[in-house]
Amino acid sequence: MQRVGIPRALLYYKFSEMWITFFKELGTEVIVSPRTTKKIKFDSVKNAPDEDCYSTKLYFGHTLALKDKVDYLFIPRFGSDHHTYVGCPKFIGLAEVLRSLIPDLPPIIMPHYNKAKSGHGKFALFRKAYKVGLNFTKNPIKIIKAIFKAIKAQKFHYKTLIIDEQTLHKWERSEVLLNEPPILVEKERQLKIALVGHSYVLNDPYSALGIRSSLQEHGVDFITSEQMPRNLIDKQMDKLDYDLYFLYEREILGTIMHFIESKTVDGIIHLMIFSCGPDSIAGEVAARLSKRDPDVPLLQLVFDELTAEAGMKTRIEAFLDMLRRSEDKQTMLLTAQVHL
Amino acid sequence: MPLAFPYLGNFTYVMEAIARGMKRDDLILPTEPTYRTKQLGSRHASEFVCTPFKIILGSIIETIERGATQVLGTVHVDFCRLGYYAPLWKLILEDLGFTGDVIFLNWFDKPEFFRNFKMLCGDINALQAFQAFRLGWIKNRYVDLVDELQHRYGAIEITKGSAKAVGNELYQTIVHTKGERKTRKLGRLIKKTFKEKVEVDEKADPLKVIIMGELYAVIEPAINLYVMRRLNDLGVVAYTPITFRRWIDLGYRLNFLKKKQHEIAIKLAKPYLGHRLGGKARESIGTAIQYKQLGWDGLIHLYPFTCMPEIISRSILPQVSKEHDMPVLSLVVDEHTGEAGFQTRVEAFVDLLERKRNENEKNKVK
Repeated sequence: MQRVGIPRALLYYKFSEMWITFFKELGTEVIVSPRTTKKIKFDSVKNAPDEDCYSTKLYFGHTLALKDKVDYLFIPRFGSDHHTYVGCPKFIGLAEVLRSLIPDLPPIIMPHYNKAKSGHGKFALFRKAYKVGLNFTKNPIKIIKAIFKAIKAQKFHYKTLIIDEQTLHKWERSEVLLNEPPILVEKERQLKIALVGHSYVLNDPYSALGIRSSLQEHGVDFITSEQMPRNLIDKQMDKLDYDLYFLYEREILGTIMHFIESKTVDGIIHLMIFSCGPDSIAGEVAARLSKRDPDVPLLQLVFDELTAEAGMKTRIEAFLDMLRRSEDKQTMLLTAQVHL
Repeated sequence: MPLAFPYLGNFTYVMEAIARGMKRDDLILPTEPTYRTKQLGSRHASEFVCTPFKIILGSIIETIERGATQVLGTVHVDFCRLGYYAPLWKLILEDLGFTGDVIFLNWFDKPEFFRNFKMLCGDINALQAFQAFRLGWIKNRYVDLVDELQHRYGAIEITKGSAKAVGNELYQTIVHTKGERKTRKLGRLIKKTFKEKVEVDEKADPLKVIIMGELYAVIEPAINLYVMRRLNDLGVVAYTPITFRRWIDLGYRLNFLKKKQHEIAIKLAKPYLGHRLGGKARESIGTAIQYKQLGWDGLIHLYPFTCMPEIISRSILPQVSKEHDMPVLSLVVDEHTGEAGFQTRVEAFVDLLERKRNENEKNKVK
């Protein structure tokens, strides 16, 4: 059985369901690199180009962890899956950079997919996936079946992840919880926070220094930018002077703008990655908008390979303490919102 | 309403020529970025946004201090951050208390583009506006020519600085020339002036280095610390294929008989970097191969700190350099780049090229 390796970094956190289902249906063994560890981080920093962003650096470590265990590496060159908005250029160049910097890698499967900038048309995804499938089997029915199953799995993933508007309003009125119930702190109110960032930061406990669990320990229920309803985000983006065209950055900025406007959360935490290009734009826009309407506090945390856990925890704790102190004002605001 | 645009190296002259052609005489011309410009930009921009953004922002703030109320910026959709510069300026300038307009020019939204363009023009009709623009792109060709000759003569001139002085004079001549017929004659004039006024060492056989990289880092001397002039002082011919011609020169774009440099470069880069990813990533790689074939000695690859596409090409360039035997020096530039360190690296690179050439000649004799 042929083994296909997928590094657990960057776009894996968006499309893992689709990729894994597809390769399993083709009858291959899928090997995903382990969760980020200290060793992987060390390897990454040693081998990756200096100026890359922290998340891209981690990709190098994950690839090295897979190097000797697999027959093929799957690193798609992904431009965008929207007809106007684009992703990060690093996603496109990554496969070729890896091939050039690490010479003894196993063969890389690198389909190029880009819908934006007059790129690929309607059936491109199907065509590209079929070509990838031909590497493993000559049976066309098997490949087509795998493609459909993979797309179905991805759709199901989105459906379970993204909440609808009604659930969001219920959450805003504190009627439902979106995560496992947080551990309540004695004599303190349960806080609500919007946790905003790229999916490869939010879902990787090592690179975000376990922010999810540490928030839960402090009695905080949170909503992530991944879960936000897409139509709300598009509505917020229309309010900008000029449409932000970075696909995943829209999600982030839209969430921040929605909560700045609706004032239904206690605070917003924005996780940024050092030297991430799109983040530097969206982060600045978010900071400026938040300064103009400062009712909901915004905390922007920048992560890189040198970020220390203790310092980060102190800042989060200080932020939560600040939110709890301004409780009276916040409760008034919250009730006003509900009665309206 | 005084109009301002950011400083963009020698392209400033072309912008000035176009704006004057459109009967806008209330221009606030940007000045060359100084230490203060960089400081202003870095203070008000976000922490790790790319360096061009910071310097352009500083340059705009300086023009606003001098009284500009209309600021010009372009927006578009690309993999690069450049398309979102102008909306971000608007937010930052508003926070700083700027009450004028930031005008977005978006080529992909044609009706809005022409509406905004009309607002910018003085009292002229569409044909006159087109003529002014056309004159602008013709002048751009001559600005490029002056640029090229200046850095060719600069390497072999006998009195240092004479080529630069002639160049500066000619830029002004280009800006102030009126009418198409007179402008067309500039080409001959430029070549003649350089031949007459710059004394050169006829026997010299200088090294030839190509400058490639991100657009702003290459064309803006304040950020690349005058790397072309530095090379000239070391007796090396410097040339860059990067100009604005590719975007504004419609005559050049529509001419299907002429092969464009960037198209050749992109084709050559295909085995290393197959697909479009913004910036000049593919061109940088392709140019290294192309100019090796043309017999140039080395390539200096410039890019600003945190530039997304160029980091990719920078990571692949060592492989290209090895396979095609083309020495490549990658230099990151930002507002903190120190002059001494920069000079040392350029000098070391030139020494390396010289040694390589001598060795090659020795081998030939054998």
